[in-house]
Amino acid sequence: MKSFVAKYGTALAGLAVLIFLVIFARNFASQANLLNVLKQTSFLTILSVGFTFALITSELDLSFASLCSLAAVVTGGLVHAEIAWPLAALAGLGVALAGGALNGFLVTAIKVPSLIATLGTASIAGGVAFMITGGVAFVGRWDATFLSLARGKLFGIPTLIFFMAAVVLIAWFVANRTKLGVHMLATGEAQEAAHRAGIATRRMKLIGLTLSGLAAGIAAVLLVSNLSSAAPQMAGDFLMNGIAAVLLGMTMFQPGRPNIAGSFVGALTIAVLANGLVLLGAPYYLQDIMLGVIVIGSVSVSASVLKKAAFAV
Amino acid sequence: MTDILVVRGAVKSYGAVQALRGADLTVARGEVHALCGDNGAGKSTLIKLVSGVESPDDGTLSVAGREARFAGPHEALAAGIATIHQDLGLAPRMTIYQNIYMGSELEKRLLGIPVLDRAAMIAGAQGFLKQLGSTLDDMTAPVENLSGGQRQAVAICRALRWKAEIIIMDEPTAALGVRETQQVLKLIRMLKANGVTVILVSHNMNDVVAVADRVTILQGGRSVQARATDGLSADALARLIMDERAA
Repeated sequence: MKSFVAKYGTALAGLAVLIFLVIFARNFASQANLLNVLKQTSFLTILSVGFTFALITSELDLSFASLCSLAAVVTGGLVHAEIAWPLAALAGLGVALAGGALNGFLVTAIKVPSLIATLGTASIAGGVAFMITGGVAFVGRWDATFLSLARGKLFGIPTLIFFMAAVVLIAWFVANRTKLGVHMLATGEAQEAAHRAGIATRRMKLIGLTLSGLAAGIAAVLLVSNLSSAAPQMAGDFLMNGIAAVLLGMTMFQPGRPNIAGSFVGALTIAVLANGLVLLGAPYYLQDIMLGVIVIGSVSVSASVLKKAAFAV
Repeated sequence: MTDILVVRGAVKSYGAVQALRGADLTVARGEVHALCGDNGAGKSTLIKLVSGVESPDDGTLSVAGREARFAGPHEALAAGIATIHQDLGLAPRMTIYQNIYMGSELEKRLLGIPVLDRAAMIAGAQGFLKQLGSTLDDMTAPVENLSGGQRQAVAICRALRWKAEIIIMDEPTAALGVRETQQVLKLIRMLKANGVTVILVSHNMNDVVAVADRVTILQGGRSVQARATDGLSADALARLIMDERAA
């Protein structure tokens, strides 16, 4: 029973909140609203999944939101300049991937603590994004195929939800069913032991941080497609939300350990709460307070993995 | 018995400090061989050379009659030498089977994609533990839930998984209570019964005389005595080490 509560307690608490909102928040349970919540969750989920990979290897990534903004600006800028959208999307993905790899290089080769390295990368990415745009957003009537990527529907369900599901499923598979996943886990859990067992721990950290960058790139392309615009700080709010989602996820399924399923449910919980608060007519600042409570509460419940990462500073 | 490991004239210096000054070690196949000596005698350095952590400045090392020189622990492992350090090198929050197969996981193909073969690893882990007479049955339990003796068994199973013919155990009972120490000594006897050669580094003379067939005493970076433990009491062994130090 104790183990069940430890594994599923937070998820059940989230379910209780969901039931509360279904009963008390008008229109919350409508199909349109629920699909909208899932749509809005998709960006946060994809970013959180990326951050989860970094944290599994016991490294922090505070640059994923800035890399996402930069990748969005690169993609949006190229689409705006009428470059073929697949090339633009690839460029956006490439920039974010390179940013993640740079983080990995700084952490594993130069030995810069991940907190510092990724803060630096975040600042650089933010600056470059402003440099590219000149501080103005790219907005336009872009290629319809590109826009349909994240605005379209398949069987009546927004395509964004399919992208999110694909990212979560692939990430879960990699983390839980492959050698790469278990090597990343061993690296984060006991780096010295993993190294002695022949695991390339530095490579695992490099991959973890690179995957975080890649996820930022995927979210960026979808964000630009969905909003039909690209601005230098468009993903800024996702930093705190993403961290909160992953930390919340660490309190469920595999308590104290970053895990893909937990991050997904964490992101969903945050999106549901945000949506519910709006529908209940709560003032906007309550969302910030809620995020703060989630972050502190989650770390209080399961601090061990984060402590390891924090001590690496 | 044939010799499985022979070290001759091993020399190793760290700057001005000469840790080994021509140490010898001869270990017969299938025996439990203790390595004793006071602090600073050179035990750890000698073990580092044999396990590939360090390279000797001079001297030779041969494994099963073939001269060897290891560029790293992975090469020592490939030659059949596994080291279980005092901290055991386990990931406490990972499961028993994940620890046993850490770094050498079993895979199967699923639609052409290599995926972890969890069932095979659980069955394999059970087999290794059974070989050691362990009664652990839940291979998915995290290692942090195990006793010191059970953790030692998991670490030994990992070495067996690597098909190690020589297992070096560095102070395996140092932090254990009486009952757990007995469990570890039983494990060492089981290893011997399975034909595995064990090199036991220990400060505990009772443990040494309880399980070791032979003992090499190091002093000041040299091996000063190598003998059978037959008829040797813990006190007598301690006196030997002290006498060599006085000499």
